[in-house]
Amino acid sequence: MTAAGIPAGAAPGAALAARARDLLAFEWIKLRSIRSNYITMLAATAVTLGATAVVAHALGATRAHQQSLPITPVTAGFLGYAEYLVLPLSVLAVLQFTAEYSTGLIRTTLAAVPQRWTELAAKIAVVGAAALAIGEVLAFACFFLTQAILSGRHGGLSLDAPGVPGAVLAGGCLVCICALTALGLGAIIRHTAGAITAAVAVIYGVAVLCLALPAPWKADLGRFTIAFAASQVLARHPQHNLFSPAASMLVLFAWPAVTLVAAGLVLSRRDA
Amino acid sequence: MIELTRVTKRYGPVTAVDDLSFTVQPGHVTGFLGPNGAGKTTTMRIILGLDAPTSGTALVCGRRYRQVVRPLRLLGSLLDATAVHGGRSAYDHLLSVAASNGIGRGRVTQVLELTGMDPVADRRIREFSLGMKQRLGIAAALLGDPPVLMFDEPVNGLDADGVRWIRLLLRKLAADGRTVFVSSHLMSEMAQTADHLVVIGRGKLLADTPADRLTAAGLPGAVLVRSPQAGELTGLLTARGATVKVTSDGGLAVTGLAAPVIADLAAAGGISVHELVPRSPSLEEAYLDLTGASTEYHAVSPDDHAIRPGDRAEADR
Repeated sequence: MTAAGIPAGAAPGAALAARARDLLAFEWIKLRSIRSNYITMLAATAVTLGATAVVAHALGATRAHQQSLPITPVTAGFLGYAEYLVLPLSVLAVLQFTAEYSTGLIRTTLAAVPQRWTELAAKIAVVGAAALAIGEVLAFACFFLTQAILSGRHGGLSLDAPGVPGAVLAGGCLVCICALTALGLGAIIRHTAGAITAAVAVIYGVAVLCLALPAPWKADLGRFTIAFAASQVLARHPQHNLFSPAASMLVLFAWPAVTLVAAGLVLSRRDA
Repeated sequence: MIELTRVTKRYGPVTAVDDLSFTVQPGHVTGFLGPNGAGKTTTMRIILGLDAPTSGTALVCGRRYRQVVRPLRLLGSLLDATAVHGGRSAYDHLLSVAASNGIGRGRVTQVLELTGMDPVADRRIREFSLGMKQRLGIAAALLGDPPVLMFDEPVNGLDADGVRWIRLLLRKLAADGRTVFVSSHLMSEMAQTADHLVVIGRGKLLADTPADRLTAAGLPGAVLVRSPQAGELTGLLTARGATVKVTSDGGLAVTGLAAPVIADLAAAGGISVHELVPRSPSLEEAYLDLTGASTEYHAVSPDDHAIRPGDRAEADR
């Protein structure tokens, strides 16, 4: 029945490490103990690999008689991936907050961890790490799958071709970036349907709108969107009317950073 | 110990908690009473740091809850038993909450046994009845073995056995020397459990008193009088400032005068009295009297809305 939580004699570093371990365990147990999280992940993985195989086959078939395609062997590996992995993972990330709000569990969470920035940090760490791990594994899996299918039709690339390792790593990162942006939107909006709509709008919708704009605006506005920036980072031959790949990478990191800081501000000021 | 100092909470134009100050002492069960909408839950949310008060402070053992690291070891609480994720097993739910405050697996097993939930620990929460969810919520509150416990309407949804179990548990926790703060809108429930009562209505403090003194402090008791000359006696008593009501069985319920005074007045007036019974009001009556003016939603008494057979036919048409 001691009121003090952490042993009084512990060094501040040790206390901090103990607390970080507690909070990561808290979020990790919550994430792993919901069965539908696994089902969503497995389904998304299967569909992603399936779609990637279909795209690679189609590309292999056209390449035989058509040389200048906008789709390169690298980007081909990400077509199925971007559509079918980013979205389910972003929805899962949204749910990390909205499911807690809709069930009321958020009050249990904040009674257990009343320091709200700290709680947000724990969620960012666990959701970010999970999304990054899944993203990288599937980015490499999709790359090898695409190249394996193309190599039989003399179009394959190896992983050590110039620009390829960076593009594949960045592809894995993209999932994490979208998931963290979605996590922040979930914390801000609190309602599942609204937050998913917002996440889809931020990840795809804005870019689609920009595609419909007339010439100068399309690139001028489009280069700030996640989809345009991602295509710059992943492309072997970046377009010069958009931001450079390095600047595009900054744009990609800015989206989750801004959303999560806004989420932290809202979370720490609002009644739960 | 829980200390509230001049706590006010406004939601726009609505004042949910109005300048509330009281202290909850360790070692006994303190009942927190008030009608629905009186501000009990809001007060508890403020103590837990879930809601920020508009003004005033709420301290748990001298500390603001929001600044406490590993707070479940200081205060265990159950506000809403249904606020859990239905897809998780009871064990995983408790394990996650325990982990957040550095509490080990051994303690999770202990609280499951303590609340009788061990046979269903691996079942998903969505299969649980409200009573089982209440037990699970209490298990979570006990995880940190905290010196302060706070429960919002813990007997809701429990069967008779469950109610008895909660009552014994609350008394045992208080006997351990812990601070136990329990809300209810039912006086009858608190009359059997609480040693001390904090009564609020419309966010304001109405009483902060030992349970056995709410009667004495609250109301002067009524005196039940029977007399063959009830009319004359009523005149005499009302002339002396008493309030007299005729009871359903023809007796007089007199308030404002003590029994000996009534007897003397009757004797002086030559009125015979057949029965003279001083009746102290029950806790229930004292509570209703305190909160009567402050109930947020007044229901119309069923008598006022009695539907006569003819009216029903009208209404159906």
